[in-house]
Amino acid sequence: MYSGAMSDAIEKVNATRERRKLEQIALLPEEAAQKLLNSYHPDYRESAFRNLRVGVNCGARTTHEIADLLESFSDLDYTKIDLRPEYDTDVLVLGGGGAGATAALFAESNGARVMLATKLRLGNSNTIMAMGGMQVSVDERDSPVRHYCDTMAAGKFAGRECLVKALVNDGPQIVKWLLDIGVDFDRDAIGNLLTKKAGGISAPRLISIGDHTGLNIMKVLKDEIGMRDSIEVSEFTPAVELTTNEAGECNGAVLFDLGRKRHFVVRAKAVVLATGGSGRLHMQGFPTSNNFGATGDALVIAYRAGARLEGVDSFQYHPTGVMFPEHMVGVLVTEAIRSLGGHLLNAKGERFVNELETRDICAAAVIRECENGNGVMTRSGKGGVWLDTPLIEEISGKGVLRKRFPSLYRHLMRVKIDISKQPLLVFPTLHYQNGGILIDKNGETTVKNLFVAGEAAGGIHGRNRVMGNALLDIFVFGKRSGLAASEKRFNDPGKVTLTHVYSYYNMLKSLRISSVAKSPTLFPEFIVNKL
Amino acid sequence: MNLANSITIELEGRKIKVPEGLTVIESLWDTGHDVKRGVGCLSGLCGACTVVYLEKDSKKVRFGLGCQKVIEDGLIVIMLPYFPSRVAHYLLTSMDSPLQHLAEIYSELYTCNDCKACNVCPEWIDVARVMKAAKDEDYETATNHITDCIMCGLCASRCPKGIAPQHVALFIQRALVVERLFPPNLHQRLSEMESLKFEQELARVAAMGTDELESYCHTLGEA
Repeated sequence: MYSGAMSDAIEKVNATRERRKLEQIALLPEEAAQKLLNSYHPDYRESAFRNLRVGVNCGARTTHEIADLLESFSDLDYTKIDLRPEYDTDVLVLGGGGAGATAALFAESNGARVMLATKLRLGNSNTIMAMGGMQVSVDERDSPVRHYCDTMAAGKFAGRECLVKALVNDGPQIVKWLLDIGVDFDRDAIGNLLTKKAGGISAPRLISIGDHTGLNIMKVLKDEIGMRDSIEVSEFTPAVELTTNEAGECNGAVLFDLGRKRHFVVRAKAVVLATGGSGRLHMQGFPTSNNFGATGDALVIAYRAGARLEGVDSFQYHPTGVMFPEHMVGVLVTEAIRSLGGHLLNAKGERFVNELETRDICAAAVIRECENGNGVMTRSGKGGVWLDTPLIEEISGKGVLRKRFPSLYRHLMRVKIDISKQPLLVFPTLHYQNGGILIDKNGETTVKNLFVAGEAAGGIHGRNRVMGNALLDIFVFGKRSGLAASEKRFNDPGKVTLTHVYSYYNMLKSLRISSVAKSPTLFPEFIVNKL
Repeated sequence: MNLANSITIELEGRKIKVPEGLTVIESLWDTGHDVKRGVGCLSGLCGACTVVYLEKDSKKVRFGLGCQKVIEDGLIVIMLPYFPSRVAHYLLTSMDSPLQHLAEIYSELYTCNDCKACNVCPEWIDVARVMKAAKDEDYETATNHITDCIMCGLCASRCPKGIAPQHVALFIQRALVVERLFPPNLHQRLSEMESLKFEQELARVAAMGTDELESYCHTLGEA
């Protein structure tokens, strides 16, 4: 419920609404847009970045938060771990979201024994929070070529050709697979897959399941995994280190049993790392839309094993994350609300950007308003801008918010905020890690027998990801990596060692680096300091 | 921690002061509970953090999500992060018309006597209606109402007959898709891909340098 100064500020929003209905704000010319990004977008804030001093990507630019983890010793005493494997399997999948589940299912269907280990429960992931939909070129007006171009253009032409090509080419087959296992995509009157347009997409290409696309796919994947006898699921057992053999090839992982508080080793012929992104590192202090476990663990353990990273200085800040009520800070408010005509407003009740600009420009504009004192302050001293949701009810008819965005509407009604009558306070939220561990078209990294799928992988989305491509990418590269990993099932995994960790630490020592961090982070520290 | 604006609640059986405005999960963290098993997305979508609570002066025990429920003075609350529910074992891909097997797969569904005890859904789903539709073989109605289901299992915890509505509904949803018409537009695209319709153009575009690709993208326009 809004009170005090915030209620007063809402009056200004109401007062300007009629006038704003007719107001047009032009898209920024290229030069002005670049200037805005340079001045206010977090990716361009040089003081937040530094160059890595160790490892394969020595000299590469990344955020302090990631560099701190990569340039440190783990708090795990790696010399005392018992490396005799407790489990032996063909394919070890790390991560229980959409990418991990898909990799496990395809590896199993190809005849491999699979163990899937995850930090939280199977299915607790960012996949379930993917609301808008998935991009697949199935519409007759569309083609894989268009999909390729849109993806490359959005990523500022930094994506890798072979990966983007794989992404767009596999799309239709992936949807067929999802339909075969019982995923209920929205259809039109004659049974076609319903396709929608979105910002940055040149043809109708988003397929969805209400506003709960990822959730409904994940439910089916999780159910299906339960039906497969050759997949063993190990929950609450995050990976804290990969293992390698004499040749430096990946052959398993050290997992930590959260309940028993002990480490154990799983040996495998191949490992698929699908532990997701790094939003919970709260880069530059930003709130995040990511789940509790998204702490960038994959980057840390793969980098120590010698895997090359790509683009880990590029993140997506979604312009509209909730800023009030406090318990929802960071939760995503979908782009679709702006597409329907929702205005972004500063404390004076005035618009300051065309709401249909790309995500990075909108985010930079919101940050500019707040830094220049035009933000609306909450009781705890955080700033944000208004997203005028009541305006949408006026444009598109009463009840449209409840109908189209049921979960957002419900979550706010629980705290007595009715978004059909009151605006919503928003601020950019850390949403997606654009880069990650570099993969080839089969999902394999520069370390042999180590595969990566999902948000942890890099090279696909370049410097910016367009809506709906992440949901496709997890299935495409989950499938590819699962199949390729299972092909290794006749390999001899060799001796389980942590040789790569020793040599990585020797590099740190030679640089006189002695910091010790909880790396991988596993869980964010929660400091409850709201009052 | 400033406890000046604190309220008293009964958390996991312990009366304790906590700052107001926190959610149940945050109050657990604040008071030293190392909760991991009952935490997931922190956005009200994963169903990991279900809680049972009794509000001050209320006669009715209520159910919700720990990441969404904001505490109030006098609240009595515990976590119920998991409730045992039977999941049937079936392979959808090896069944022709899976819905005909519903009665074998989830036979307990037919013991439902519409008592409506399951209507405790934190996502406001009318679970009883879904179960009734399922029994009446109105499968479209049943699936239309469960898109918002987060599989938290609270409904199953209330059912006196031991039905797990979330799993029954998921089976129906999956089975229905298998029996539906294959989407014509996807069928068309798959056969185009099989005949390599886009192969040449895609190879040409993928071989372009950045500048060439950029101008090519500009020529595409909106479809």
